Amino acid sequence: MNNQIVLRLTALLAIIAAICIAVAVVAIRNLGRAVAASDWVNHTHAVILALGEMRAAFHASDAALWTLAVAASPENEAGCREALASLQEQLAVAKALTRREPAPAAQINRLEALADARAGLTRDVLAAHRAGNSDRVRSLLAAATATGLPGEVRRLTEKLKLEQMELLATRDSEAYLQAQTTRWTVWSGVVLNLVLLGLAAWLVRDDIAARRRAAAVLQEANEQLEAKVRERTAELTRGNAQLAAEILERKWGAQALEHQLRYNELIINSITDLVLVLTKALNISRINPAVAHLTGFDSARIVNRPLPEFVRITAVPRHLQSSADPLGQVLKEGRDLHDVAALLSDRQGREIPVRLTLFPLRDGNKVVGGVAILRTDSTAA
Amino acid sequence: MPKHILLIDDEAPIREILVQTLKTKGYRISEAASAAEAESLVQRDPPDLVISDLQLEESDGLTMLAQFKAARPALPVILLTGVLFDREVVRDTLSKLVTSYLPKTTPLAKILEEVHRVLPP
Repeated sequence: MNNQIVLRLTALLAIIAAICIAVAVVAIRNLGRAVAASDWVNHTHAVILALGEMRAAFHASDAALWTLAVAASPENEAGCREALASLQEQLAVAKALTRREPAPAAQINRLEALADARAGLTRDVLAAHRAGNSDRVRSLLAAATATGLPGEVRRLTEKLKLEQMELLATRDSEAYLQAQTTRWTVWSGVVLNLVLLGLAAWLVRDDIAARRRAAAVLQEANEQLEAKVRERTAELTRGNAQLAAEILERKWGAQALEHQLRYNELIINSITDLVLVLTKALNISRINPAVAHLTGFDSARIVNRPLPEFVRITAVPRHLQSSADPLGQVLKEGRDLHDVAALLSDRQGREIPVRLTLFPLRDGNKVVGGVAILRTDSTAA
Repeated sequence: MPKHILLIDDEAPIREILVQTLKTKGYRISEAASAAEAESLVQRDPPDLVISDLQLEESDGLTMLAQFKAARPALPVILLTGVLFDREVVRDTLSKLVTSYLPKTTPLAKILEEVHRVLPP
C-alpha cells in the first residue's frame, strides 16, 4: 500500500473516529439533559399535586372551622386541629418543592401567610368557643367571611398551577426538540460514517486492484526473466560443452602431434646410417645419434656449421664438376644426389670414407632444405 | 543401455582424452594399456567396438586384433595409430582386420564421427 493511500485512509479513519466521539458526546449530553428534564417534569408534577393537596387542605380546614362553629364538640375541635395540621404539612411540602424557584416560592409564602391567618382565626374561634362566647365566635366568622380567604387561596393556587402547567408545556417542547436533535445528530453521524467507511472501502479496493495489477506485471516480468535465465543458462551450457570439446580437441591435437613427432624422431634416431638435416644454405640443422657416434662430435659442435666443413665429395659427378659448390648446386637445382663417394672428418681429424646421398626437402614446389644420408664405405677400406 | 567401447592404447594421456570425449557422448568405456589386459577385458565384458593403437608395449596390435576377429568376426574395430599407412596398404591389408583406420593426428570430431558411423548410438 503506497504512502498516499495510507495517508488518505488514516485521515478518513481519524474523521470517522472524531465523528463517533462527537456523536457520543452530543448524545450523552442530550441524555443528561433529558434526564434533567424528566426530573424537572416530575418535580413540576409534584408541585402541582402539592398545590392541589394544599388547596384541599384549606377547604378541609375551612369546613372543619364552620362545622365547629355549628356544633361545638371535642371531636370537631380535634377535626379542626387535624385540618390545620394537614394544611401546615402541605404548605411545608410546597415550600420544600419550590425553595429554589423564587416566583413560586413567593406565592407559596403568600399562601403560607393566608394559612397562618386561617390558623390564627381557628385558634381565636376555639378560644371563644371554650369561653362560651357565642357572639365572639359569630363576629370572628363574619370577619373571616368578609376577608374572602378561601377565594384568595383558590385564586393563588390556580394561578400557580397554571404557571407550572405552562412551564411544563415549555419544557416538554424543549425536551422534544432535544430528542429530535439527538436523533438527527446520531443518524447524521451514522450516515456520515457510513459514507466515509464506503470511501475507505473504495480506497482499499482501489489499492488492492492496483496491487493485483502490479503483482501481475511483476509476475510477468519474473516469468520473462526466468525464461531469459533459462535461455542464457542453456546458452552457457552449450558454450561450456563447446569449450570443453575445444579444449579436449586442442589437448588431443597437442598429444597426437607430440606422439607423432616422438614416433618420427624414434624412426630417425633408430637408423644406423648418418642423417644430417640441412638448411638451404647447406648449414647442418639437425643430426641423428649415429653422426655423433661415428664422428665423436656432439650435436652442439656440428649443428649450425656448414656441411662441407665435415663432408667432402671425393668423386664429383660429371655434371657437377664445373661447380665450385657441387652440394649447394644440387640443392639449388632441387636434384637428388645418390651414393657418391665422400670423406667424413671426425673429432680426431681423421677422414672416414662414406657414401653420400643428398635429397632436397620440398615444401610443395619450393626447396626449403635438404637431407644428407651417409653410409660408411666398407669397400674403400 | 549405453554401447560399450574398449579402448586400447599404451599411452595414458591418449586414453584419458579419448575416454573423456566418448563418455560425453554417452558411451560406456573400458580401458586397456596392453594386449593382455585387453584380452582379459574382451572375455569378461565383451565390447561393441574396439578402438586400438597399433604399437603396444609387449605385443603387436594387429596380432591382438586378429585374435579378436577370429573369436568375433563381426566385432567392429577402429585402428587409431601414429603409424602412417598408404591407402593401398589400408585397402589391401588392414581392411581384413579393421573396420576403419585413423591416423592419430585425426581431429577428435572426426574420430567421433567415425565412431558414430561404425557404432550408431
